[in-house]
Amino acid sequence: MSGETGTVASYVYGIIPAGARIPEGLTPIPGGDDDGGLGLVTVGELAAVVSDVATSRPLGTRKDLMAHETVLNAIAQSSPVLPMRFGAVVTDDDAVADELLTPHQDYFTKALGQMEGLVEFSLRGEYDQTAVLTRIVEDNPEIQQLRERIAGVDEDASYYDRIKLGEAISQSMDRLKEVDADAVLDALERYAVATVVKEPGGENGAVHVAFLVRSDHRSDFERAVDDLGDAWSGRVDLRLIGPTAAFDFLPEYDPPEGQS
Amino acid sequence: MTVSQRQGGGGVQKAPQGGLAEVLDLILDKGLVIDVFVKVSLVGIELITIDARIVVASVDTYLRFAEATNRLDLHQKGGKDLGEFMGGLTENVTQGGAKGKTKGMLDAGKEKWDEIRGGDEQPTRRGRRS
Repeated sequence: MSGETGTVASYVYGIIPAGARIPEGLTPIPGGDDDGGLGLVTVGELAAVVSDVATSRPLGTRKDLMAHETVLNAIAQSSPVLPMRFGAVVTDDDAVADELLTPHQDYFTKALGQMEGLVEFSLRGEYDQTAVLTRIVEDNPEIQQLRERIAGVDEDASYYDRIKLGEAISQSMDRLKEVDADAVLDALERYAVATVVKEPGGENGAVHVAFLVRSDHRSDFERAVDDLGDAWSGRVDLRLIGPTAAFDFLPEYDPPEGQS
Repeated sequence: MTVSQRQGGGGVQKAPQGGLAEVLDLILDKGLVIDVFVKVSLVGIELITIDARIVVASVDTYLRFAEATNRLDLHQKGGKDLGEFMGGLTENVTQGGAKGKTKGMLDAGKEKWDEIRGGDEQPTRRGRRS
């Protein structure tokens, strides 16, 4: 529909074992002139999940981003998958076969083997701000003093003290986050094959840990997460996202010597 | 997106997939990079990225922590400044405009920014026991 500039290329979502089933009804990234849906490019034991995209428009709308993630997560429910980073576009399906799959068969096959039966979960926690601030103030005489000094003082006059107070709180919170990340690992690590502790985003971010979990350990893992949620009730709100494609646990790729 | 609440306490929210900000974290920073594998037939498509200008500076965060701590007093003493606090908060966060949406964007921008600035995750890959 976009006229003569509308060249179509192949968008690559990820790589799966040949013969693995892709769930039906998945919506691909909005494509070129005619939406063809998701397709597979198969080489030997491997298949790349692809769809057509127009090269004439930039990628990155909310729809694009969510489609990439949703397709990969849906596949991950039933099959190992090596997710590509968002925005992987190759001229056509032949190039996907000849340049992506064929020369790197060994790595992809081995990596898929390693991901067999494993899924990723992401645990995020947010502090209840009132609860966490109360605890920090109570535990910290210096912060208590600062707060008292500021109380009732004009906003402009107390500007630097307020920054100091906020900074001190922020530092206390960082220490608390470390303690809480350790507590998460103590409680849940045993149910996971691997873990990655990540920076909890946002102002009240408490913990953010990614877990690589064996599918057959999933219910044990989830039960332990619920127990932690009980223990932290009122202090940290936990959210468990998954199972998803294992973005955080992809086996390293070492390019063979001399390969450009 | 289905969000199921587990019956019987815990209160851990479960979702098959995160929101946009969380998805961004993963798919823009993780996953196999096509350039590593494909050289000749790579199509360089422009990617829209989050505008760094909407990032909240850390001083603003500090000030908001200070305000919120001040509000703790108000909980105890019965508040007079809550409205002011809320006003200050939204002003800081959105700088006008469509509030709900902008705040979401800001959170996304903030998270992104934290990562860019090097508040990176510390990978603690443990030995596999399979």
